Parts: sequence; structure tokens; C-alpha cells
Amino acid sequence: MINLLKMDLHRFGRNRMMYLLLLLFCAFQIFGIFMMKKYEQPVEGAIPVSRLTESEFIQYNISQPPSWMLIYIAVFTIYFYMSEFNSGFHKNYISMRNARLHSVCSKLIILAIFVAMMFLTMLIADGAGRRLFFDHTALGDLATLITLLIGQFLLHWAFSILILCIAMIAKNLLISLSAGFILALNVIGMVLAALEAQLTGIHLSKYLLINTLVRVKDFNSTADIVHTFGVAAAAILLFGILAVRYKLKEDLN
Amino acid sequence: MTDCMIEICGLTKMYKSKTAVRNADLKIYRGEIVGIIGRNGAGKSTLLKMIGGLVYPTSGELHFFNRAAAGEQSFFERMGVLIENPGLYPNVSAYENLNLLAMAYGLGDRNAAIEKLLQLVGLDSKNTAKVKSYSMGMRQRLGIAVALLGSPDVLILDEPINGLDPQGIVEIRQLILELNTAGLTILISSHILEELSKIATKYVIIHQGEFIEVLSREELQQRCEERIELGVEEARAALPVLERELNITKYKVVDSRTVYVYDENIHIRQIVKVLSEQGIMIDSIAKHKQSLEQYFLERTESAGERHD
Ligand SMILES: Nc1ncnc2c1ncn2[C@@H]1O[C@H](COP(=O)(O)OP(=O)(O)OP(=O)(O)O)[C@@H](O)[C@H]1O
Ligand SMILES: [Mg+2]
Repeated sequence: MINLLKMDLHRFGRNRMMYLLLLLFCAFQIFGIFMMKKYEQPVEGAIPVSRLTESEFIQYNISQPPSWMLIYIAVFTIYFYMSEFNSGFHKNYISMRNARLHSVCSKLIILAIFVAMMFLTMLIADGAGRRLFFDHTALGDLATLITLLIGQFLLHWAFSILILCIAMIAKNLLISLSAGFILALNVIGMVLAALEAQLTGIHLSKYLLINTLVRVKDFNSTADIVHTFGVAAAAILLFGILAVRYKLKEDLN
Repeated sequence: MTDCMIEICGLTKMYKSKTAVRNADLKIYRGEIVGIIGRNGAGKSTLLKMIGGLVYPTSGELHFFNRAAAGEQSFFERMGVLIENPGLYPNVSAYENLNLLAMAYGLGDRNAAIEKLLQLVGLDSKNTAKVKSYSMGMRQRLGIAVALLGSPDVLILDEPINGLDPQGIVEIRQLILELNTAGLTILISSHILEELSKIATKYVIIHQGEFIEVLSREELQQRCEERIELGVEEARAALPVLERELNITKYKVVDSRTVYVYDENIHIRQIVKVLSEQGIMIDSIAKHKQSLEQYFLERTESAGERHD
């Protein structure tokens, strides 16, 4: 496991795509802040975006579809998995003890590292952009910010595991990328929520991973915290197990 | 040689409704070189994939060292495989590919191991060109190096000679023999029996997913050598005549009425002449010659093409 992770880390560190994605994300994030500044229209009764604290700003950003962060994560996940799968490199080590299980676990850790790096990049970009264009760098309540970051990190990681499952099962770059985009736009979540509202009285769709992810959360409410972390944990477990189980049974042709 | 490394019992693999390998039984002992021969689509790669743990059998069992390899269990700590196309990252160098795999294996002195292997298969370790710019033969060589990394107990090579130039073929064949001498058990597949005849100790002929024949090197040689098959009333009476009159030294008495003569310079009519002069009756006499390829073709002719 450690050895396979070492190998994946080595490949991760030399992955130009990863640096490119982070750089693009950083640039677009700052550019986005610039655009917000330029086209800011005061909405009555609401705090202008430029006056939000970092926590509020993150919540605001993530709740505005499409979530670019999800798209970057999807692209990276698919790229990282498919480059190994398509090359057939896994054939070389798959006869090792528990290689299938370990290779999936190692991928999960790599994904967590990438998602963490995305959040770090976001914090840096936000800090720089807000300083430059809003001249406002307040972080807000630190505990709230940290809870928010951890919660969102877990939700995004769960999303990347979901994308990993899709890439593993689809075995096709285009199909998995399209699926990634559709999920990042949360088409399914919105349709289900609408249908649910129309047809039934129950409200289960808000517990969907991406609906939870984009919802503006109130971390003073225990229910919201439980909701966020509960959904994240459940999704990580569910998709993680799905990925491992699929890999264990897969025929590697 | 009594150590059974791999035992295959009733191994079957179906893809949807198509059976790629059907009910295969085989025992592979330590130190053997097993040649698997079959036409395109015969199921060679599928069989090797099952042994290599890439593909799960639909039914049947695989035993390693007499232990069942059920589910996800490890087969060997290190089994070197080269099946179909070598699994290589196209955008990095040969060295880097090996380096990544050496990491996965947790090898200690990676650099030394890699340099040695690259030299062994005739590639330049200083070559920093990306693998995608490699020729087919270079890729195949690198694939063999990848399979050899980490000193495996068992080496599985699926058509390793594909794309190699004649010198390359000789080199690889030499390499396989050396590795075998050093104690490796090797499984190797090919379309061409001739190609394996110089190295394998056991042959498996597979056709449309079924093992048609499993034979040892000696058995194969026996079936393919050139000889005159002589049928007489009493072999004991014929032998002194053949020895005395024709100086025949290489022969074999198959049973009391049949003798095989292996001397190349002897003609059928010479034998007929001396035996009839001595009053010995010949029941039958025929030249038997079959090349390895003929032998293989004969075994694998599909039912429709059979001409008898
Ligand atoms: N992934 C797959 N899905 C469906 N059918 C397959 C698959 N892999 C192999 N087959 C079928 O199984 C049969 C055996 O294939 P296999 O690749 O084992 O043949 P082979 O002996 O290696 O042939 P070749 O000499 O061309 O490499 C073929 O008829 C092939 O069509
Ligand atoms: Mg094949």
C-alpha cells in the first residue's frame, strides 16, 4: 500500500496537468473576483459581495453554479485515473498481494491531496483577489471558517471519489468527462429537487451529495453541521466501497 | 522439478456467451518453460491473463504452490507479466517507467536494478526519449524488462518475440534460457511452434479455447523427427540384417513388429532390397516426416477444413 502510494505520489508530483489545473483555477478565481468588483450591483437588504468575510465569500462562491472547483476536480480525477488505466501500467503490478485494493486506496489518498491543494489554492487566490479588488480581507469567525473548510473538503473529496467510480466503470474519457460536467452543474440534483417539490411532500433530495455541497450552510445550527458531515461521511464511504469493490471484481483486459 | 508451482483445474473463461478458454487443465512445475501455441483468437492471452490475475475465471480453479487462489488473493508476491501490449506510460522514458514500477514493488536499490535490466534487454539507460517514440521492438524489449523487474518467480510472456528483429529474437531466446537456468518458471505463448521449439520444455496446443494436446519436448521431437517406419513379421530377425548390410545404427524397436529407422542416408528401396534378399517379409514401410509447423497445423485444423 505504502509502495503503491509512493508510486502514485511520484506520478502526481510530476503531473503537469495537476499544476496547470491549479494555476488555471487560481487565475480564474482572481479574475472572477475582478469581474464581481466590476459588475457588482447592490442588492437591497443584502451585504455586497465585496464586504463578505472569507467564510461567507466561499459559501457564496460555491453556491453559484456551475461550481468550477468541481469541474477542475472532475477533470483531474478522470485524467489521473485514465492515464494509468489506458497505458495498461496497472497490469505490471496487479499480481502483487492485495494490489487491487491498495491501488484504489492509494488513488483515494491522491484525490484527497489534490482536493486539499485546490482549497489551499482557493484560499490564496481569494486572499489575493479580495485584497486587490475589494480591499477587504476579513476571514470572519475562524472556527466557522475551519468547520466550513473541513466540511467542504470532505464533500469535494466525496465528489472526486464519485467521479473516480464513474471513470472506473465507464473506462472512457469522454463519457466520464460529460458525466463529470453534468454532476458539477448539479443538473440531476436540481431536477430531482424540482420533481420532488412538484410531486411529493418529502424533501430528501437536499441530502444528495451535490445539493449538500452547494447549499449555503449555517454552522451555528447543529442540524446543518450534522447534515454536512453526515452526507460527506456517507458519500465517502459509499463511493469508496463501491470503487474498491468494482476494482476487486474487474477484468483487466 | 517435482514442485508444482501452478495447477489449473477446469479453468473456463466466458466473455458474454463466447467461451475464450474452456475447461483447461494443466500442471506447471518449477523450472519449466511452458510454450502455449495457438492461432489468433485461440485463447492464449486469456489463459495467461487468468494465471496472471488480470482476469477472473468464470469457473474452475487456479492453485499456486497447492494453495487455491480464490478471489483477490495474491498469486505470487512477484509474478512478472507481459501480456499483449506492454503496459507503459507513453509520456515518460524507459527508465522512468521502470522506476515507477520499482517504487510499487518497494525495491531497495532501484537505480542499479533498472540499469542492469535495461542492459540485459539491450536498451540504453541513458536514453531519455519518451516511450511513445520507441519502435515496436524497443517497446517489446522494455516490456520484457518490466516483467523481469523485482526478480519474479514466474515469468509470463505473451508473444514476447513479436516485433523483434532476428538478432533480437536470438537474444531474447538466449535470455529466456538463461533466466530459466537461474531458476525461473516461464510461460510463453506464440502462434508459431517453431519459435518455441528451441526453448520450451512443455508444449500446450490450444485451439478455440480448448487444450488439444499437452506434450513434453521429447514427445514433440519424437512426433516430428524424420524416420522410416518399418513393419515386419519379426523385428528381431530384421535387425541383424539391417545392421550388417546397411550399417544402420540409429533405430528404435517400437514393438515386436515395428522398427523406426533414423539414419538419414538410408533409402526405403535399400531396406526393401536387403530384407527381401534375406527372405524377410515386409508388411509395410513408409517415410514419416513432419515439420513442427505441419504438426501444429494438423492439430489445429478446424473441422470444416479437415481433409480425411
Ligand atoms: N475482453 C474481451 N471481451 C470479449 N471477448 C474477448 C475478450 N478478450 C478476448 N475475447 C475473445 O476470446 C477469444 C480468445 O482471445 P485471446 O485474446 O485469448 O486470443 P489469443 O490466443 O491471445 O489470440 P492472438 O493470437 O490474436 O493474440 C477470442 O475469440 C476473443 O474474441
Ligand atoms: Mg493474444
